[in-house]
Amino acid sequence: MLGNLVKAEFRKTTTTGLWWGLLIPTFVIALGWALGTGAIGDGILEVFSSSEAEELTNAFGLDPSQWQLSLFGMARSINVATIFPMIFGGLAISNEINRRTITTTFLTAPNRVAALTAKMLVYIAWGAFYGIVIVASVSIGIALTSSPSALPDAGGWLAMCAVGLVASILMTMFGVGVGALMGSVVGTTVVLLLYMLIVENLIQLVLSSQGAPWLIGYLPNGSVNGITGSVASSLFLSAAGVVPDEVVQATRFFAGGLGAFEWWISGLIFLAWTALFFAGGWASTQRKDIT
Amino acid sequence: MHDGSGRIVVQNLTKQFGPVAAVQNLSFTVEPGSVTGFLGPNGAGKTTTLRMLLGLVTPTAGIGLINGRPFHQLGNPGRVVGAVLEAQGFHPKRTARNHLRVYAAAIGVPDQQADRVLELVGLGQAADRKAGGFSLGMKQRLALATALLGDPQVLVLDEPANGLDPEGIAWLRQFLQSYARSGRTVLISSHLLAEVEQTVDQVVIVSRGQTMYYGPLANLRDSQQSRVLVQPSDPGALVAALQAEGISGIEQVPDGRIAIAGVDAKRVADLALKAGVSVYGIQEEKADLERLFFQLTSGQYAAPPPQQQYGAPNPYAAPNPYGDPAAQNPYGGQPPGSGYYAPPQGYQQPGYQQAPPPVVPPPVAPPPAVPPPGTPPQGYQQDRQQGYDQPGQGGLGGGA
Repeated sequence: MLGNLVKAEFRKTTTTGLWWGLLIPTFVIALGWALGTGAIGDGILEVFSSSEAEELTNAFGLDPSQWQLSLFGMARSINVATIFPMIFGGLAISNEINRRTITTTFLTAPNRVAALTAKMLVYIAWGAFYGIVIVASVSIGIALTSSPSALPDAGGWLAMCAVGLVASILMTMFGVGVGALMGSVVGTTVVLLLYMLIVENLIQLVLSSQGAPWLIGYLPNGSVNGITGSVASSLFLSAAGVVPDEVVQATRFFAGGLGAFEWWISGLIFLAWTALFFAGGWASTQRKDIT
Repeated sequence: MHDGSGRIVVQNLTKQFGPVAAVQNLSFTVEPGSVTGFLGPNGAGKTTTLRMLLGLVTPTAGIGLINGRPFHQLGNPGRVVGAVLEAQGFHPKRTARNHLRVYAAAIGVPDQQADRVLELVGLGQAADRKAGGFSLGMKQRLALATALLGDPQVLVLDEPANGLDPEGIAWLRQFLQSYARSGRTVLISSHLLAEVEQTVDQVVIVSRGQTMYYGPLANLRDSQQSRVLVQPSDPGALVAALQAEGISGIEQVPDGRIAIAGVDAKRVADLALKAGVSVYGIQEEKADLERLFFQLTSGQYAAPPPQQQYGAPNPYAAPNPYGDPAAQNPYGGQPPGSGYYAPPQGYQQPGYQQAPPPVVPPPVAPPPAVPPPGTPPQGYQQDRQQGYDQPGQGGLGGGA
């Protein structure tokens, strides 16, 4: 029974152009950011004079030529590109409400729980698919522009890919929840984009200027960025010896995860945000009068 | 699991949208094997009722059952009930075939079923066109195709004729009748009686969220009365002559003419001649179904009809077959139309019509065919002129 509904939900996503319409910018943005950050990372290394390099080596216990700067670029590129699977998720239910196809969806499902469960499973799969495209294009971009010494080793690369996948799935689910709560295509898209790209960055600015950057790690964007940022930062520092906390925070900042906690704590925090919106969206769709 | 009876039961359904009572204590039963019309003016609560029946809207009170079960207990509902609720439930960028394949998958029928129903509704040529480019009539057909995917036993259609051209309506009529004849249940809503008059066997008429009538359409037809309007030289003499013949139901209409119910013009003219009264004008006025429908459903948004001769015995008003006529009108004093089998405007109004009759549905068994509730008392029957209540005449009678 659920298999039928999953098949139906999957067909819904593949019979319109939205999935590739959002996949193209996902690919372009992920690749572009990776190319750019890779080039910037290389550029930074080049401007260091030998004396500066020596100071940094002392600070980090690691020679700049061995810095895997590309990790920061990977983290930031993944963070930016996961905006698109989030939008894709955001349209999952809001578009059905908008197009009134939700009526037929509920008429052909045994109950709403089954219909929404099928939708959730399908969008987890789509989140993973977007995640694979994102980490693949980020990897290509980084590999093209970073010097080989700045690239992570195989284990580091796998770790980044894994958290990239997790971040993409969670972002998709986050979008599904917000979309279901708002029930409007335009509203969902605008709110998600505005919040993730502008509003929370402003909040982060205020928090960090007020000396409370640790709060950022609790915010939705701050925590999801923390998943990739903290892994990038700890991979970067893994070759170093004992690293002071300030340096950890600084590297997390470079990785786009200022104020973030350990990656798994960040992951749990964002999972809580996702669960909150998802449960809210689910509850509202479950009870909604479809008129 | 459901009982497979194909019966739709609506029991005391009520829906309150904030302060607005969209549906009030609505009850009726729809039996398989016939097409039932669900009639009422726009805003009467038809769509809300159908959506409650289909589990899309949660009732404030009451219950809707299909095959003895609420919608959510039907198991795979697409196999039991198909519904056309609106003609716009499509993604504009999805082709007709893909739209159907999505829901074929959900119901669990083979993909070929999508092409089969497309052919069935005459959209075979448009299968690969996107629904966004469809005309309203094509969308209606696609919506019907979607409803038919699971080959359901029960078909529920909300205003399916909207946007269909005359040819499409004729096709739909034939389709629904043959669907019902195969022992299945068809419930079709409309705000136009004329639109479904030739299609339906049974009707449920609602107004202001309440059932005004339900039963066979034929019974409604039989309750029709025509009347004769005559302008005599001496009204008093004519009335006396008529009464001497045992004809009651005589009434003076505002323009000075006399209205006589239950007789034909020829008889009135003959009697006038016998009484030595000149007849300056005589006219037979035929009440049609549309007008009756208007009477039953008027008053929701329109002013109440002019009230005349309160308390006079109304030769047309049948005794209220549904019990206590003094039930409180939840809307206060405004007359809810004219009750059951109310005569057209201008006829005598029953004195008790200030209160709407409470709707007590007959048991689940089909409404009795003989004698129909509200059939005019014997003696008023007269030869029906075949065809005078055929649809198509007189337009919509202003009742739309």
